[in-house]
Amino acid sequence: MLETRRRRLVGIDLFQCALASHSTADGTGKQGHVMAKAIGIDLGTTNSVVAVMEGGKPTVIINSDGGRLTPSVVAYTKTGERLVGQLAKRQAAINPEQTIYSAKRFVGRRYSEVQSEIKNVPYRVAAGPNDAVRFEIGGKQIAPEEISASVLRKLADDASKYIGEKVTDAIITVPAYFNDAQRQATKDAGKIAGLKVLRIINEPTAAALAYGLDKKKNETIMVFDLGGGTFDVSILDVGDGVFEVKATSGDTHLGGDDFDKRIVDWLAQEFLRDQGIELRKDRQSLQRLTEAAEKAKIELSSVIETSISLPFITADAAGPKHLEAKLARAKFDQLTADLVERCVGPVKQALQDAKLSERDIDEIVLVGGSTRTPAVQALVRRLIAGKEPNQSVNPDEVVAIGAAIQAGVLAGEVKDVVLLDVTPLSLGVETLGGVMTKLVERNTTIPVRRSEVFSTVEENQTAVDIHVLQGERELARDNRTLGNFRLEGIRPAQRGLPQIEVSFDIDTNGILKVTASDKDTGKVQEITISGSTQLSRDEIDRMVSDAQGHAEEDRRRHEEIAARNAANSVAYQAERQMTELDGSVPPNEKARAEQLIADIQQLTKSESSDVARLRQLASDLQQLVSGLASAPHDPTAAGGRPGTTPGGDDVIDAEFRPSK
Amino acid sequence: MADKSEDKEEMGPGSERPESAEDTENGRLKAELSREHELYLRTLADFDNYRRRVERERASSAQAGKRELVLPLLEVLADFDRALEHLGDAPEWMSSGFVAIYRRLNSILQAQGIVPYESLGDTFDPERHDAIGLMESHDVEPGTVVAELSRGYRWGDEVLRPARVRVAQ
Repeated sequence: MLETRRRRLVGIDLFQCALASHSTADGTGKQGHVMAKAIGIDLGTTNSVVAVMEGGKPTVIINSDGGRLTPSVVAYTKTGERLVGQLAKRQAAINPEQTIYSAKRFVGRRYSEVQSEIKNVPYRVAAGPNDAVRFEIGGKQIAPEEISASVLRKLADDASKYIGEKVTDAIITVPAYFNDAQRQATKDAGKIAGLKVLRIINEPTAAALAYGLDKKKNETIMVFDLGGGTFDVSILDVGDGVFEVKATSGDTHLGGDDFDKRIVDWLAQEFLRDQGIELRKDRQSLQRLTEAAEKAKIELSSVIETSISLPFITADAAGPKHLEAKLARAKFDQLTADLVERCVGPVKQALQDAKLSERDIDEIVLVGGSTRTPAVQALVRRLIAGKEPNQSVNPDEVVAIGAAIQAGVLAGEVKDVVLLDVTPLSLGVETLGGVMTKLVERNTTIPVRRSEVFSTVEENQTAVDIHVLQGERELARDNRTLGNFRLEGIRPAQRGLPQIEVSFDIDTNGILKVTASDKDTGKVQEITISGSTQLSRDEIDRMVSDAQGHAEEDRRRHEEIAARNAANSVAYQAERQMTELDGSVPPNEKARAEQLIADIQQLTKSESSDVARLRQLASDLQQLVSGLASAPHDPTAAGGRPGTTPGGDDVIDAEFRPSK
Repeated sequence: MADKSEDKEEMGPGSERPESAEDTENGRLKAELSREHELYLRTLADFDNYRRRVERERASSAQAGKRELVLPLLEVLADFDRALEHLGDAPEWMSSGFVAIYRRLNSILQAQGIVPYESLGDTFDPERHDAIGLMESHDVEPGTVVAELSRGYRWGDEVLRPARVRVAQ
């Protein structure tokens, strides 16, 4: 079979999550009944994300505030209202004791276990029945599950609104290190939210699913997750669609926020040194500093220097003061070097616990916005040398996307959905001047049928050769030949008159059928291409990058050919016109035209690359001819593609090369 | 597979007759057909919902594009606001010129339907306000906005950027 396709998604029927299997679903054998939409939820410590399968593809849902991330924050206001997400976050500063964030750090844990966490939060945490954790809000005790439930409910509601269909079923992710109690509590949170939790899966497993790594046979995957406030590294084994967590390690208080704080501290210290004013004491200045720091950090992922400008940041007796600073990536790296270094220990620990060396890691997956930081990426490359990390999926969303894919499988949606295959490379035919004319662009979803009408370019041409090509280069000879065939028996006619329809039909199995038919005679010739050319992923990538590398050169050559074709066309029309107007053309103009035609033919025959001169000649000739009496008709307007002309004997001069 | 065995049970005592190979094949095909049909309907529904959403989003995506440009501009406007507070000391020609530039920038945004709103004296509302902190105040009810650190902007019905405020304790 011709490899004109690439599996985009994964059929994951076999997948199950080893660690989570003891605390799984209420029932998944519901295929064949009315299937509800199931969503995937990444219930994070700082932010949460929800995604859904739509037409076989995972889509991250935009929440009611217009964002893709929903803060995992719930607030109980003095008026007895409950706010979730962005709104809760906005009032946190004036209602700190009744605004619960980081509930995930408490969910499913005993009060006696979380003493160090309690110190970090402004709200009150108390011991409930059986040493359970409770938040004390307005004299009432609230369980962490209830907080998580509020976040889940909002995510599900936003999802329902977004996809226009009620959502009842969900897959929720948890860190791989979560114990039974924490998993059960998360599942209970789902129930409280009115959701049917199809399954609880591990965050690193979900991330691996988003990259389709469940299809791998016996591989070892490292998932490196540096989020807003937590760092997790997990080592997974995958085989036969089953993931097994071999080891996890991490740092529960390390994340992007720490990186921001380093910039804030640096800016504030510089300012204090120059101006003698401490900016961090003023809440508003601190807020502006923090926002500017985060923005600078993000910019430094793509540029090597950024400027931070905060006019009127403060004022003293001498008047207002402005903060102006430049931050180079090198300086940022220096400010955060110890934070990056703190990732090393857990990675080594996880490898050691799994009894593996870095050479045993086959795949690395990056999760969490902070993995965009160049120094973090460099660290990962240093630790696991020779492996390019998977990072094409947005690291903030990859866990939710993986969860949605799994939800789609359990809801019976993702099951050999052939619609999701695409052609990895463009397909087309060779046309005039050795150019590849694409009929099916790369990454077109199959099955697909595309057709186009071509014509002849020589007088009385009776056959056309169809040269079927695959590739991204402009010129036929730089691409891969898939097949050749000839359509014969075309009635002799003026060039450009015959209409030859060429159609490309790719079925769900990726088998390509190319058909050429002459509209006049009804003669049809076709070729089915399958079997011969299996392209590996590497080959496809090479061909695509090859085309990108040659883009400029190809464009120039394409331009040359186009100019040659256009000039030839003008010359051909001029010749015809001269013949038809025979006698009525003044001799001096006739001579001039003949000279121009001869020049053009000379240039095109020698495959000259003097595009400017060709264009000049063509334009002169055009002007000269249009000055003569109006011509009877333009033969190329009869259905052929414009700008086609015959040339010399050696030149590839047909829309399709005429058979001789 | 589980489904099939259930089907058999449902056929009850009347189904003593041993199943022929054809029957089995028939049943399998029927099950497969209904599964495929379900998937087909599902894809159709997905597409229908998708199309409707794309239509809905077409209008808002133009707005989303503008938002990317406008939001940072609002930060610049906030800088203007801060600058204006200190303009008293500047020579007249400078302050009036400065104010003129500020007005032009504002009117460009207003032409796009982006308008500032007042927050001072209002009751704190997280839909419209982003709280920076509390402030002692004896004159007003607790929960009232007593200081506006940067102005809120509305775009049509939507809050484009909430006002940064301090609230009475």
